Amino acid sequence: MRKATILFMFSFITAQWSSESAYLLEKNRKEVGIFTPFKMGMSNGSELGVNKFLLMPSLSLKQEMSMYKSWKMARKFRVEYPTAGLKWIQSPLGGEMGDPNMFSLISTQFTIPHMLSFFTEFIGTKGGVKSGQLSLRAGAGIALNTKDLSSDATIDLPIIYPRLSVYYNDFVILSGAEYIRQISDKFYYLIDYDMYLMPGSAGRYAFEQQSLLVWQKSSKISLSFGYKLIVGEYPYGGQAHLLPNINLKFGW
Amino acid sequence: MKNKYCIYSFFISLFLSGCDPLVTSFNDVEDAVMYQSNRIIEYPAKRSISVMTWNIRFGVARLDFALDACGDRVIISKGEVITGLEGIAKKINESNVDIVLMQEVDVQSKRSSYVDQVQWLLNNTVMNYGAYASKWKSQIILADGIGRVDAGNLILSKWKLEDAKRHQLPLRGDQDGLTQLFYLRRNVVTAKVDMPGTPFFAVNAHLTAFATDDTKQKHIAGFKNILDDIVSNGFSFVAGGDLNAIPPNATKTNYCYDDQCEIGDYDPTDEKKGGCDFTEEINWLNDLYGSYEPAITLEQYGMNESKHYSHSPGDKLKLDRKLDYLWTNTSWSNGTTHQNATTLSDHIPITAVWEVE
Repeated sequence: MRKATILFMFSFITAQWSSESAYLLEKNRKEVGIFTPFKMGMSNGSELGVNKFLLMPSLSLKQEMSMYKSWKMARKFRVEYPTAGLKWIQSPLGGEMGDPNMFSLISTQFTIPHMLSFFTEFIGTKGGVKSGQLSLRAGAGIALNTKDLSSDATIDLPIIYPRLSVYYNDFVILSGAEYIRQISDKFYYLIDYDMYLMPGSAGRYAFEQQSLLVWQKSSKISLSFGYKLIVGEYPYGGQAHLLPNINLKFGW
Repeated sequence: MKNKYCIYSFFISLFLSGCDPLVTSFNDVEDAVMYQSNRIIEYPAKRSISVMTWNIRFGVARLDFALDACGDRVIISKGEVITGLEGIAKKINESNVDIVLMQEVDVQSKRSSYVDQVQWLLNNTVMNYGAYASKWKSQIILADGIGRVDAGNLILSKWKLEDAKRHQLPLRGDQDGLTQLFYLRRNVVTAKVDMPGTPFFAVNAHLTAFATDDTKQKHIAGFKNILDDIVSNGFSFVAGGDLNAIPPNATKTNYCYDDQCEIGDYDPTDEKKGGCDFTEEINWLNDLYGSYEPAITLEQYGMNESKHYSHSPGDKLKLDRKLDYLWTNTSWSNGTTHQNATTLSDHIPITAVWEVE
């Protein structure tokens, strides 16, 4: 009973701000970050997520599952429609090829078909943030395209390449882990990794690891900063990138 | 405390080592990138050395590439690139040349499906060694979906190359800072050819095409200064490249109407268009012609200009101007403009035989 109460308290603390754990946002709590989607806690034990970038709409639903031993469990479903966004990326300023068509990331020689992707993930979380909370997740994604998207039309950049790979390769396997621990009243550190396996693709894997210091000023503002290390294979070969990582989240 | 410094140092070094520059810039002089074939053939020293210069247009032959012609494609498939390279390799092997000075060679560019053309050419020709210098190297070009690019100049040789250097030429002076950052960094690549008994220098240049100011004049002067230095150090050279300049006795100097993608594209009242009007630049090669020996002399060129044309843009197979040259400080024989190769690139190879003195 005492263990369950402690677990409940920890779950309340972590539920204040969303994370990649099996915990959900509190009912009716909403939050949005500069680099993270809009999320809202629902009344039916689920959490809704919506991408702010309307040209690449996606909708996710995270649902609680029954405990597995000492692991809190959840499942997450996500559907995404990237066509409008990818078409926009072909000519963001409305220029034509050779103008030059500035900021274009995909040549206009390629046709972007209608595409829809579906992702399913299972998440398990153990422990609490004061003593250290570990979350593990695994899942897969598939894409349905009305026509083939040319494999020459990839955007061969870190972060972007693995996230769009499902549309070129039809299939992606995801796994990840997150460890978060409170270090003072308002400060936390977070270490996580994401792994993308893209069998059959020109770039077959991407490994992303980030470490963040998180300042949860209040239940309304949270600031995190750190780095993201990306080691991946691209159509031209393997490469590592180390990028600064900063995010500002607002909750209400 | 010591541990803390170790941790900080680790993360700082990780950050620095992991950060490849978005755009690669270069020192004034730095080492070229060295390659060798996967099978080395031994060649004896020769008295007559056959030299070729060729702008190979990154192996896409006469396909309708958007950025240097009137096409609507930026990414060329791997199959098409390999087909283009096969044509180039066949021509090199048939010509039995000893040194090849190549321009517009891609080693890791999305536009040519990431084929390492230097290694491919070494593995598929009778050449043994390569010295490569990038003129355009960026993780991403934010225009037209070009993406990642690494393209440059290449010296191929049957004999070992030593002391290969990349010499930076001035950046275009008529561009804003942002465009200049992502634009080409033209260079001259030099290498000492270690032919037994008689080492000599090979020099390869690809000068600016579209500058509307005096950048091309600076490039020609920079190229000549490098040749002068080699001679002053007591060596001989074979040099060449795509100089993007026409001979001083060329009768036609303005190609702006010819190069229009559609009739009406060119308006002479608009601001100056680079790359098609050579009228004001017509004397810029005089210094080179006055100092060194060309494979095709001005007299030969003047007697039959069209026979020595080496370029026509895009998919226009009818050659209409001479932009490509071979030079030496000694003498050439058998200077030939290979106009039968007009389907293999938008430039055609020029060869000549250099007599070792």
